[in-house]
Amino acid sequence: MKKIIISIFTILLLLSCKNEPQVLVKVEGKLLPITEEIQSKKEIEDFIQPYREKVEAEMNTVLSYTEKDLVRTDGELESSLGNLMADLCFDMANPVFKSRTTNNIDFALFNYGGIRAGITKGDIKTENAFQLMPFENNLVVVELTSEKIKELVNYLIANNRAHPLSKHINLEITKKGYNLKINNLPLNDSKTYFVLTSDYLQNGGDKMDFFKNPVSIQNLNYKVRNAIIDYFKDKDTINVKLDGRFRAEK
Amino acid sequence: MKRRNFIQKSSAGAAFLTLGGLSLESFAKKTSKHITILHTNDVHSHIDPFPEDHYKTPNQGGVARRATLVENIRKENPNTLLLDAGDIFQGTPYFNFYGGEIEFKLMSMLKYDAATIGNHDFDNGIDGLFAQLPNAKFDFVSANYDFKNTVLDTNIKPYKVFVKDEIKIGVFGLGIELAGLVDPRMYKETNYLDPVEIAQDMSRILKEEEQCDLVICLSHLGYYYKSAPSKICDLNLASKTKDIDLIIGGHTHTFLPKPTVTKNSVGENVLVNQVGCYGINIGRIDFYFDSDKNITSKGKSIIV
Repeated sequence: MKKIIISIFTILLLLSCKNEPQVLVKVEGKLLPITEEIQSKKEIEDFIQPYREKVEAEMNTVLSYTEKDLVRTDGELESSLGNLMADLCFDMANPVFKSRTTNNIDFALFNYGGIRAGITKGDIKTENAFQLMPFENNLVVVELTSEKIKELVNYLIANNRAHPLSKHINLEITKKGYNLKINNLPLNDSKTYFVLTSDYLQNGGDKMDFFKNPVSIQNLNYKVRNAIIDYFKDKDTINVKLDGRFRAEK
Repeated sequence: MKRRNFIQKSSAGAAFLTLGGLSLESFAKKTSKHITILHTNDVHSHIDPFPEDHYKTPNQGGVARRATLVENIRKENPNTLLLDAGDIFQGTPYFNFYGGEIEFKLMSMLKYDAATIGNHDFDNGIDGLFAQLPNAKFDFVSANYDFKNTVLDTNIKPYKVFVKDEIKIGVFGLGIELAGLVDPRMYKETNYLDPVEIAQDMSRILKEEEQCDLVICLSHLGYYYKSAPSKICDLNLASKTKDIDLIIGGHTHTFLPKPTVTKNSVGENVLVNQVGCYGINIGRIDFYFDSDKNITSKGKSIIV
């Protein structure tokens, strides 16, 4: 059978001429993994090397220092790293916001999942800021009604996670409900609140739907990671502790 | 399941035709032509190989190694095109520090022939992408992003036609819907057009007007969305269009161990491929052509 097929093909081929239109007859596809067995092309390596050295030097630049590990898992409803992140973003963002709007930010809220890596005790390097915040998210200030603040609080309680909250919030889950103070004052139904968060969360990330359709929104065009780097550069040593800003009644 | 059945059937058929294919090559070298397509997607600024202690992909990838592989294949077959399906930017500090300059310069050194635009390529805004274009010695193709009211107007072509060994290869680009995925301030007045309608137009133009022998779609639509099966993706695009031979995909970081063979709107085979992300793999598709009279039966064999 095979022989017959081959001979038919052979005869057809012998009859064919050179400048006939081309027809697709066969397609082959495969995956080629790039492994260490493949030698690097020197010209390319040489091109990359100076950039690599600069990036590595920059990433290894010591910005600050911490005496203890900064992690997101050392508390129940708060964490050292979460408190630090929310507080530092507030500190870096509020002057920007105030200069643009004359208002002050009331508090900051980010998400637990957005803390992408802890920081080991010792020197804090630029690399740590990139690992903590690899994304290009911007800081935004969202103006919320007191109703939306209640939704926000209910979200935090239902979620039961150590989402980063700034120190301006004092929230205790009680057996009957909760006690909330913002900047030492109870929630004021006739006031709107300026909440600092990221554009990612404002757009519905982590189902923080209370950030949608706010009274107003101000994008600070200031990346979360840059706020972190700027803050670290400014501080010789990072001191952060758990202070019970969000807790459950014992 | 249906698709798997089909693939099995088609490879059984392929085995039969391969026999003929081999004889074609051995007896008719003068009339047969061979085009190699190499492709990457979602490299995301991964210039260096992964570290040796990486938990998932230790010591894999790396542009300098990719360069060697591409060079060797080009030596073997000069009629090779190297293509990228977008998301060149974002993922390592190289991008944060240099804004895509190194990525484009390296791709130029590797002699990429064309690329399409992924959503992350807008991460420094449309102006950031525009600013890096002089570093790219290859063309960007995108047919369903209307850039008329942006700085990219006239810089991005809907398609490009390459001629290799007298074989005409048309390559057009498709991008994913940006609203909800990218901050509007980043893509500005980029207008997203329906990928299916545009692909139908493109394949007609390339096949009928440009008389291409091969039509390739560089897509950043994503391979398939399990939770949204009707969302436009490469598999749906393949089934709703015709005259496309190969869809090279991206966005979903899908590692296909081999290209998927599926059917287009008129029941012909289409190849859909995607090779994961971060430059860990290169996809290779070889197209073999022969002159008309050498073909006993219509249709091509696909060996994947």
